[in-house]
Amino acid sequence: MNEMAVRLSGVTKSFGTHTAVSDFDLEIPKGTILGLLGPNGSGKTTTIRMIMAILLPDAGSVELLGGSPDMSRRSRVGYLPEERGVYPKMKVIEQLVFLGELRGLARGDARQRAAEWLDRLGLRDWAAKKVQDLSKGMQQKVQFIGTILHDPDLLILDEPFSGLDPINQDVLESIVREESARGKTILFSTHLMEQAERLCERVCMISRSRKVIDGDLKELKRRERTGAVAVEFEGDPDWLDRAGVVERERAGDAWHIPPNRVRPDELLAAAVRDGVMLRRFEVLEPRLHEIFVRHAGEDAAGESTEPAMRPKGGGR
Amino acid sequence: MRQVWVVLRREYLERVKTKGFIFGTIAIPLLMIGLMAVNILIAVQVASSDRELALVDFTGRIGEEVAGRLGELGYDIELMGREASLDELDRQVIEDELEGYLVLDDLTLSEGVFSYRAKNSPGGTRVALFESAVNEIALDSYLATISTGEALRSLIEGGRLEFESVLQVEDQAEAEAARRSGIAFGFGGAMFLYITMLLYGAFVLRSVLDEKRNRVVEVVISSITPWRLLLGKVLGVGSMGLTQMGIWAACAGLLLLVAAPMIAPQIPGADLARLAEFVPGPGVLLLLTAFFLLGYFLYASLFAAVGAMCATEEEAGQAQFPIIMLLIVPFVLQSATLGGGSMKWMDWVALFPFFSPVMMFPRAVEGAVPWWMTGLSLVFMAAALVGTSWVAGRIYRVGILMQGKRPTLRELVRWVREA
Repeated sequence: MNEMAVRLSGVTKSFGTHTAVSDFDLEIPKGTILGLLGPNGSGKTTTIRMIMAILLPDAGSVELLGGSPDMSRRSRVGYLPEERGVYPKMKVIEQLVFLGELRGLARGDARQRAAEWLDRLGLRDWAAKKVQDLSKGMQQKVQFIGTILHDPDLLILDEPFSGLDPINQDVLESIVREESARGKTILFSTHLMEQAERLCERVCMISRSRKVIDGDLKELKRRERTGAVAVEFEGDPDWLDRAGVVERERAGDAWHIPPNRVRPDELLAAAVRDGVMLRRFEVLEPRLHEIFVRHAGEDAAGESTEPAMRPKGGGR
Repeated sequence: MRQVWVVLRREYLERVKTKGFIFGTIAIPLLMIGLMAVNILIAVQVASSDRELALVDFTGRIGEEVAGRLGELGYDIELMGREASLDELDRQVIEDELEGYLVLDDLTLSEGVFSYRAKNSPGGTRVALFESAVNEIALDSYLATISTGEALRSLIEGGRLEFESVLQVEDQAEAEAARRSGIAFGFGGAMFLYITMLLYGAFVLRSVLDEKRNRVVEVVISSITPWRLLLGKVLGVGSMGLTQMGIWAACAGLLLLVAAPMIAPQIPGADLARLAEFVPGPGVLLLLTAFFLLGYFLYASLFAAVGAMCATEEEAGQAQFPIIMLLIVPFVLQSATLGGGSMKWMDWVALFPFFSPVMMFPRAVEGAVPWWMTGLSLVFMAAALVGTSWVAGRIYRVGILMQGKRPTLRELVRWVREA
């Protein structure tokens, strides 16, 4: 569990006067799914490129699969860049075989694996077509196959779901889960918080080139819980007034009660006392988006409450 | 190395399979053969079909001789004397019974002027043939009336330099043949090197640019070092070029071996034996290969760097201008010195590695420079190649991932330093 698939410490990268990533620490334990979250331009892609040694950091160190990110370690990574690229004039199967061979697969082996994956993703009939004749979504699936063909230990997927329809997103998600179940480590970046919420075990949030917060998703949510409650019941909502709730909001059949001076357990006790017919009583977990806004906002304001998101050095 | 091979094979196959390659490789020689065939056909036809001519001799002195000379050139001549009726001949020409007729008269004897009457004006070749035949005979006939004719004639012809070789007679002929073919090989080789470096260099640029533009390079570069990728790419394009040239050479060889002996007898003045002089020997080929390999790699590395710097084809078109100048300048210099106007200081210019393929190779095969100079230029080229590939590799490494505007010279220097 202590073994890390990726370890970044104090990584900084600037382009000219623009700092893309600043003093960034990240650890990805082997076998986990980590989501790198943040809005466009926050430094996700630069971070990933440094992990892949496509860019070299100005400061700090990068460790990949237990060592420096040299070619032999990188060949055990499946990397799907954000900038999707294909050889448009190559045949699908040949493109995949090329990518497989480049990463050390034997030609025949690469061909067989490519055929299996094409089958699995419903692209069997397209194997002999030129890549440029495929739709964008299909091209993306081909790229994904190219990423995973050599059975890498670590998958690094930069915005893997963007541009895919929901059905194909599901297909991809299930493959990611499957690979995770086989013990593979997965790092993917996204700006879609819901996706991350569904898929990740760990998250790392990044905003304006700095890390905002990271950690185990469940733990993070527990820690970030505010005491907001959703409650559904039969009868009058008068008992809420009696329990001291001042603010409430109708949401379908349920009432949402934002955090206030009544603690959830007190509210529940009040409901029992009043003999309310409860259908649902839930202490709401914060959504990732809320957590992000909460912290990124504070970060932007220059305030800090936690070491994990302490902004370094202020102005420079 | 296996990765280099994988890249090489992809580059090669993807190129060889394109319509452009197939068209360029097959169609160009076919087109050239076709053009040559048409040319030969026309020449043969012009020379033979309407060779039926009449020759009217009013001088009564040189008619026979002119007819004999034209007969040697393959014309079917009907010689007529003073009795000929020009009106009758005109009628025959108009009714296509006769192609045309020549008239020799006193003016021919005194000034070498004669007339040719036909429906169509004669082609340049025919004019030259007729003129040389008639003039020479007229001159001889005139000079024969003077006692010291022979000497005067030699003087009229402007005298001549008689080259006396210090070599044995048989060696002398050989040396002359070697000199002639040396010039031919030198010129042909320089031309060939110029075209291939320009053409295949541009292919390398395209290949780098395409990979960058369709963004595939990021995936590729995550599993192979930029150096290997570049090497595989340059080798792949080079192999494609060798294939193309191999096909062309085979076509040319076939033409020389099969077609030339068939056609040569049809063309007056063609000497088949001389063709053999124009088949290069192994030494020349070896030298050509050396210059080609070094030159191609040298320029390919520069073109690759330009491809990596640019984001669009228009930009690349502009940015490759300095490199193309590097190719054009020696070509112009070389063309200027063609035909023996040898300036010694040019030999030193030819040592400049980027000029060497076009300038030093012809000098080497003509034997115009000592062997150590040829060797030195190859060493310089190899050294330059180490330099350019180091710089180009670094520009390539940084450039292929850069999108957006072309770097300034200062940024470029930073790329090279920081890569």
